[in-house]
Amino acid sequence: MRPPTKRPAPRGRFQRHTAIARPAEGGSPTVFLVLRRMRAPLIVLILIFAISVFGLTLIPGQDADGNPVRMGFFDAFYFMSYTATTIGYGEIPHPFTGAQRLWVTLTIYLTVIGWAYAIGSLLATLRDRAFREALALRRFSGTIKRMREPFLLVVGYGQTGQLLGHALDALGRRMVVVDRSPEHIDTLDIDPYYSDIPGLVADARNPHTLGVAGLEHPLCEGVVALTDNDEVNLVVAMTAALVRPGLPVIARTVSPAIEHRMRAFGSPTVVNPFDRYGDHLRLALHEPSAYLMLSWLVRGEGAEMPELGRPPATGRWVVCGYGRFGHKLTDDLRADGLEVTVIDPHPHPDAKPGFTIIEGDASEPSVLAEADLPGAVGFVAGTDNDATNLSLVAAARKANPSLFIGARQNRPANAPLFAAMEIDWLLVPSEMAAREIYARLSTPMLWRFLQEMPGLGDDWAADTLERMRAYCGAKLGALWKMTLSAKDAPAAQPWLISGVVVGDLLRSPRDRDQRLDAVPLMLMRDGETVLGPGDDVRLQVGDELLIVGRPYSRRALIDTVTNRVVAEYVLSGREVPAGWIWQRVTGKIPTEVEGTDSPVRSSDDP
Amino acid sequence: MSLEKVIFGFFVLLAATLNFGFFIGDISNAALHNEYELFAAVVVNLIATVLKFGDRTQIGAVHLATSLVADLQLIAATLTWVYATQISSAGMTPEATASVVSLSGGALLANLVSVALLVIETTTFQRR
Repeated sequence: MRPPTKRPAPRGRFQRHTAIARPAEGGSPTVFLVLRRMRAPLIVLILIFAISVFGLTLIPGQDADGNPVRMGFFDAFYFMSYTATTIGYGEIPHPFTGAQRLWVTLTIYLTVIGWAYAIGSLLATLRDRAFREALALRRFSGTIKRMREPFLLVVGYGQTGQLLGHALDALGRRMVVVDRSPEHIDTLDIDPYYSDIPGLVADARNPHTLGVAGLEHPLCEGVVALTDNDEVNLVVAMTAALVRPGLPVIARTVSPAIEHRMRAFGSPTVVNPFDRYGDHLRLALHEPSAYLMLSWLVRGEGAEMPELGRPPATGRWVVCGYGRFGHKLTDDLRADGLEVTVIDPHPHPDAKPGFTIIEGDASEPSVLAEADLPGAVGFVAGTDNDATNLSLVAAARKANPSLFIGARQNRPANAPLFAAMEIDWLLVPSEMAAREIYARLSTPMLWRFLQEMPGLGDDWAADTLERMRAYCGAKLGALWKMTLSAKDAPAAQPWLISGVVVGDLLRSPRDRDQRLDAVPLMLMRDGETVLGPGDDVRLQVGDELLIVGRPYSRRALIDTVTNRVVAEYVLSGREVPAGWIWQRVTGKIPTEVEGTDSPVRSSDDP
Repeated sequence: MSLEKVIFGFFVLLAATLNFGFFIGDISNAALHNEYELFAAVVVNLIATVLKFGDRTQIGAVHLATSLVADLQLIAATLTWVYATQISSAGMTPEATASVVSLSGGALLANLVSVALLVIETTTFQRR
């Protein structure tokens, strides 16, 4: 009987690991490049020396007594060495004859040319672009290999990248940067950073570039694609998904089509700043406090609380420009039931009730008059030209001074102009993308909080904001995640098992009647979240807390959950001595977990 | 036929033949070992070494290593010769001649390896 034929095991499509070959790596150190370039000059130098020395030994000379004598090889080599290097000790061992001087004159010129050629070639090689690039690439890949901390691979270091880079650097995160433009990489040296950020000038569309930049490094914890070219971002997201399946990828794009294509590879996080603008506008429309909290939290530690500008109003909105941004914004506004008038030079057939499209150039007064600005409440200048947007804002203000003005700023350099116009609602795509990615990367819980927070209503947001301001002041405190697991919070385990409430945990270790300057924003338990847990919420082992507060509160809390003596005082009020002897002498021993081998939750409720 | 290969082969072979010419003969008899031949052997060996610079292949690396060994041996022989003729009061004694020639004999061995490599390379890679 034949054994049943074995079917080949199905290949795990996304489990396999594709290695990126690195042709530039291995083997040839840069010294070989120098040697190869120096071949010709060195041979010329050797030949010149050999001919000169050989000639000197052949030409007969005279000693002091007039006897004919020939120069030995050693004397000839010695003489040529100091003559060729322009040191010149004179004629040895005897004064030269006319024939010898004739030959020496010739060799002096020959050797000087030989040396000049050799030294010139060496300097040219060292200053050569290809050589320096080879050296820089070598140094860069060495730095990456020596990375011993988790790092993010940031592709594209323009406006968005630099904003994000500074914010993450302040948090102590490590990064590796790849950008096509040398100016962007130079900012890594010029701008102040806490850590040393390796940067590479290369085209990220080439998978080898990402390989050299550490995509395959085991400590690479994520890839962020932020170039201003959607195509490049797509290629980066694709490369990361194929080479390191499962590695977190964040990619920026403004095109829904590219977004769709990105999602075909793994599950990258796609950030579309145009999309967010409308979402935020809607949030501000309904829940101004929630919007204020969102925009404060994504600014990072130490940020001033942003001014709550004029809230947008409900009514008819006029949107100039119906490109990708205009589409997104109009969809968002109409989803809110707002009436929208769009002005765009190109004809669009999709006019519906409550949505009119005026075909024409908005900068022409007659076209703008057609939009009936005095009867509108909001105006958004959303073309891709900054000069047009500014002039549209000015014209709209003239027509109706009470309009709520929104505008899109395309180029970073124009920021002062837009600031001078006092736009109510400014979209800077680079900033918006940087803030969102920061919120996703800094603390993963923060992003979840921001997603769920608007659901609790504006009153809750206003209340939480008030508490944040009361505890942390006008500047945003540190945001951190605290895990109450047996590993991260060993000292608090006995109380977590028997039950402790949030209010007790936040007592100060110095005086437990005082409360720490910290506000718990979210409690996460088994994937379920409780937003803004009150002081009476019970904590359990394994809970995760997202807390905002002053930095010393963070240190105090870490003390509470890791030091048994501090935990004893903070959580129960019982003071026990810190030393083992005194604990035994006084009989005050810190509370232990009952049944130490298996911390089973006791039925503690009376 | 490439000129580069011709020049390369020429110098490698010339280094070995000059070396051999200097080496052959009664080891302690200075009259049988011409100093001009030693000089030529040193120069040609140096040129052969420089020609081997910067070759990335494995066989290129061994080539360079053998040449460096030959250079080292020949320069040691030259220094012994300089010591005997210039510094030592005894001059070119049979002992000094023997040590110069035996050092060049070591270089000859390295040069023969070099030639062998050249032959192997030629027979293995016809199109390179």
